[in-house]
Amino acid sequence: MADPVSTMTLRSGAGPAWRMPVAVGVAALAVIAVCSIALPTFLVNNLIRAFLYAALALTVDLLWGYTGILTFGQSAFFGIGAYAAGLVFTHAGFSLPLAAGALAAGLAAAWLVSRAIGWLAFYHGASPLYASVVTLVLPIVLVQGIYSGGEFTGSSSGLSGFDSFDVPLEAWFFIAGAFLTVVAVIAWLFVRSDAGRLLVAIRENESRCEYLGIDVSRYKARLMDVCALVAAAAGYLFACVQMVVAPEYAGFVFGTELVIWVALGGRGSLLGPIVGALLIDVGSAYLSGNLPYIWMLLVGVAFVVVIVAMPRGLAPLAVNALRRAVPRRRRIAPLAVEFVAAPARERDAAQTPRPALSLRDVQKHFGSLKVLDGISFDAHAGELLSLIGPNGAGKSTLMRCIADGAQRSGGTVEIGGADIRKLAPYDCVALGIGRKFQTATVFESLSVAEALRIARYRIAPPAKWKRDTTLELPQPALDVLRLTGLDKIPERECRYLSHGQKQALELAMVLALEPRTILLDEPTAGLTKQERTQIGAIFVALATRYRMCLLLVEHDLDFVREISSRIVVLHQGRIVMDGGVDEVVNSALVRAVYAGESHTGAASAEGSA
Amino acid sequence: MKHGMIATGARGWRRATMAGALVSTLLAAALTSSGALAADPIKIGVPVGLSGANSVVAPSVVQSSQLAVDEINAKGGILGRQVALEVADDGSGAAGAQKAFDSLIFDKKVNALISMETSAARNAGLPIVTRGKTPFIYTSFYEGRSCNRYMYVDAWVPDQQVAPIVDYFMKQKNAKTFFLIGSDYAFGRGMLDFTKSYIEKKGGKVVGNEYLPMDGSDWTPIISKLQAAKPDAIITSTAGGAPNVTLTKQLRAAGVKVPYGNLAVDEGTAKSMGSDAEGIYISGSYVTNIDTPANKQFLAAMQKRFGADLKTPNDLSVPQYEAIYLYKAAVEKAGSTDSAKVIPALAQVSFDGPRGTIRMDKQRHTPLTMYLGQVQADGSVKVIESFKNVDPGEQCPSLK
Amino acid sequence: MLNLGLDVVTTAAILFIVSTGLLLVFGVMKIINFSHGAFLTTGGYASVIVTQAGLSWWWGIPCALAIGFVLGMAVERFIVRPLYARPLDAILATWGLGIIVGQIITLVFGRGVQMVESPVTGALALPGAQYSAYRLILVGVALVIALALGWLLNGTRLGLQTRAVIMNEALARGLGISSTRVRFITFCTGAALASVAGCLITPLASVDPNMGVPWIVGAFMLVLVAGSSLVNLAIASTVLGGAQVLVSTFINPVLGGLTIAVLAALLLRIRPEGFARG
Repeated sequence: MADPVSTMTLRSGAGPAWRMPVAVGVAALAVIAVCSIALPTFLVNNLIRAFLYAALALTVDLLWGYTGILTFGQSAFFGIGAYAAGLVFTHAGFSLPLAAGALAAGLAAAWLVSRAIGWLAFYHGASPLYASVVTLVLPIVLVQGIYSGGEFTGSSSGLSGFDSFDVPLEAWFFIAGAFLTVVAVIAWLFVRSDAGRLLVAIRENESRCEYLGIDVSRYKARLMDVCALVAAAAGYLFACVQMVVAPEYAGFVFGTELVIWVALGGRGSLLGPIVGALLIDVGSAYLSGNLPYIWMLLVGVAFVVVIVAMPRGLAPLAVNALRRAVPRRRRIAPLAVEFVAAPARERDAAQTPRPALSLRDVQKHFGSLKVLDGISFDAHAGELLSLIGPNGAGKSTLMRCIADGAQRSGGTVEIGGADIRKLAPYDCVALGIGRKFQTATVFESLSVAEALRIARYRIAPPAKWKRDTTLELPQPALDVLRLTGLDKIPERECRYLSHGQKQALELAMVLALEPRTILLDEPTAGLTKQERTQIGAIFVALATRYRMCLLLVEHDLDFVREISSRIVVLHQGRIVMDGGVDEVVNSALVRAVYAGESHTGAASAEGSA
Repeated sequence: MKHGMIATGARGWRRATMAGALVSTLLAAALTSSGALAADPIKIGVPVGLSGANSVVAPSVVQSSQLAVDEINAKGGILGRQVALEVADDGSGAAGAQKAFDSLIFDKKVNALISMETSAARNAGLPIVTRGKTPFIYTSFYEGRSCNRYMYVDAWVPDQQVAPIVDYFMKQKNAKTFFLIGSDYAFGRGMLDFTKSYIEKKGGKVVGNEYLPMDGSDWTPIISKLQAAKPDAIITSTAGGAPNVTLTKQLRAAGVKVPYGNLAVDEGTAKSMGSDAEGIYISGSYVTNIDTPANKQFLAAMQKRFGADLKTPNDLSVPQYEAIYLYKAAVEKAGSTDSAKVIPALAQVSFDGPRGTIRMDKQRHTPLTMYLGQVQADGSVKVIESFKNVDPGEQCPSLK
Repeated sequence: MLNLGLDVVTTAAILFIVSTGLLLVFGVMKIINFSHGAFLTTGGYASVIVTQAGLSWWWGIPCALAIGFVLGMAVERFIVRPLYARPLDAILATWGLGIIVGQIITLVFGRGVQMVESPVTGALALPGAQYSAYRLILVGVALVIALALGWLLNGTRLGLQTRAVIMNEALARGLGISSTRVRFITFCTGAALASVAGCLITPLASVDPNMGVPWIVGAFMLVLVAGSSLVNLAIASTVLGGAQVLVSTFINPVLGGLTIAVLAALLLRIRPEGFARG
């Protein structure tokens, strides 16, 4: 089964991926060290705060710009870190062990709150709007809690006058700058690594990720945990250097300001939030005194304009201007990726009596409308089962019920002998099923290779800090890529692929999951005659050569007749026929069901329409 | 030969003359430049809430500062130097205050800070004041007990404001039971805690003590509780501006008519409440109707200086005016603007202003004449009683 | 006891009045209009304009309606419509708009609290209690608004089209309904309703540039729970508003202020459709 594959010569990739970010980081540290002494005190004071705010803005960008979680709540975690320091130093005094304890307490509290928010906001089927609302409610609740804390929390006046580290201002400048640099470098290494591309994939098509076996909710919650810890650390440092904490640092107005900075600076980039935070915060220190009322109005107008007309923010404009002004000496080549065959994995031989797919009395109803009723059948490895029926018969609904345990209203579904109960799609994938959607759902901003690597997430988690130059794919996937020519363009962005190429890519992604059963929802929709023949051959090969079980929903009856080994006919939510190709095609019942399409000529005309 | 020697001699003499002229020029320049240094203005920083919660009252504070500075400069300044005002926006909150104090102390390098702030802003600015070793006169009434080596306060604290109202209610209105309502923040709680203990000390009873969050506007449940408790009098201490207005409106809408003492409202807000404010009792160290020559002179000067743009002087802007004069007196007594000399001098000087004689010699705070007034139908405040020399109590025992 | 019951009913009525505009916009356009607070504020200032012009307070209602509608037209056209495909961005843009409107109002009217006379003052003497007459009137107003909107939605052609768009926009467009027009009119109506609500609450609240802000979070939590049905909004207002009153009265008003937000968040977690039928 293994074909030695070596489809293309490697172009010289970049050196170790960490070299550039670390070099930039070290250079930044040097600049900061110099500035700490060279800049005037007033600017130094402002920049210390601005550095910490910029680190905070970075976390907002990671969550929102990259992953698509609009959060107003990072200020709450900042406030938790700050108040941990403030409360401990005010009520217990200051000493090194106490300082360490305060930091630990702040981080622990932030982590606990983040877990709670994660439980509330990130679950299978949650709407992004609800998640944003939860992150909005968090700082409101926290601030009310602080207000009602009376003398203990300082209420609305905050806490001040506590002792802190006895360190000169220049040293604080370096510490804050180093904190920002370290956070930025780590974030940079992460987002450009293979694992970091998952953030973009989630933002673009969360559903597809779930059907690739990725527990998206858990991932988001983990990401929020990490960002909460960073925010709390920034808050802790802030309290130590400023020696004052106040509720407004934990409130939702500050939280929305962070979002504004990220939006103006440029979301989805790392430089954007840093620049946005630094410029606006330091700028306001100088300008807001001169124009107290106009300043907020200007910021508000700029914000609305940017959101409506320039969603990527102002940083890309600046970067483009810079690019035009400074000729680049070296084009950064997109990383070339080579596809290789994955080692064949252990499989139960076909002697296993358990069917690949087993449905018993599956039902689905919406209110009083029964869409599926009493669906029962088995499908075995090596079968190519086509599901046909007129529109509204419930075919797509049935597909959904097989791949997502929460969808059906009754009955049992077993994948490879395992009952899927109420499992979410990513858990069903783990049982061996893959689903290809009707419309090609790939990740527009990612390249072909990156998309395939995401598909391999469950089996071969991508590297967290670097970028591999090879990608192992199972032979069926390689076959599809080679057949459609996608193996020659691994670095092309998915948005530039033709419709047929996107369909093929999605099929390859599903095959990369190494499923035993594949659900295909109208795979020939929108394909040319030649592409249809190609894909038909692929399906047959998948069933016969690789012993997969394929379940197709199709309208093109010619196609169905040519490739299927078995046909199931659905009508008004029930199975009316289940048998071999000839038996079904020639059946009078089926013709009656298709009401009016009495001969194959009209049927294929309808199928190819 | 002789030529050369005479020439050398002449040259040497010329050189000496030139050197002498140069030195004396430098000396003269040095002397006059220190004289020029002496002509550098004394800068007073005013960090105030131009935006945010205090933005309603900030313009009046800036105006009284300007009048004080103009008057002082017209009479020759302080120690022969002119006074300059540096105003910065503290956003009425902690973050803005840090920026404003930073800017004034380290960028504009002011000699002193004189202003009113919210407590959050004041607390945020104090570490910076300490770092910059700058004298700071806090001119706003507040909940008391804020102490810092560099800070003086010339406005009232609860110990001074509460007694007039409570005493009046108990004596003249026969009130025995009180219901207290406030906004849930340090000032609101601080005022009402003091009020409660004062009432109980005087033999009265507090039958209800309720708080709403600072930004809350729905007093319905509290009003219902109040009506169930049927107190003889109400005393409130809400955050300024909106909460005052919403509470008063809702109390009146519910038909509450018992004597109502408001610890946190000023004349300006009372005017904007229209007919709802009629009958409210307020207590403060300044009302525009104070009948003293000093106040009349002050009001006339303000009217002349600002004309139609005048913002009504009030209990937050008048202490500002007096504080600037107090600083002038302290600098003149100390003979310099050096912090180390000015700080102790501030406790030793006094000034006779619109509020009477101000001397910050009681643990950094000052005894004050307090006025009990009642809001009239036209929004003005009629003075009912005045109490002279009310002591601020133990505010900063460690800073005698 | 009667007092408590009246508190609950009147609070529910006020919440309902404030939230209907937001519900309309959310139901049809599936976005949360964060500038709702700004529209409340413009309504409040409409009352100020009317008072300063020397007219009776009641003129404020049509004035607020007009201002809200016109402002809504501009907002929908230039801010909301371009963001049709980006709902989270629409939230942000409307929030930014709220900031802008607040700043403009501050520039024009000043930062201070404005005076607006109440049309009806004093309390009504009821058996067992005295209760604010105006609050009781608002219950009636809430009913009127509910009936008027109900008639508009169920009894007119435009209402039918609106309900179609709410249920399935793609299908509605396929049937020839101009969803752009429906969205436009809906947004303007929602803005006008918000403005009228702002005018109606001035006798109970202070009029300053930030008067709308405290209502935003509560209003949209109610709308999220209610989905797109007016009846559900009434139920949500009663249940959650009642909870707020009870917590404020028996536990502590600080927690009371948080009740609606926290309860709604938990409710939606357990049952994402809220009060709507599943």
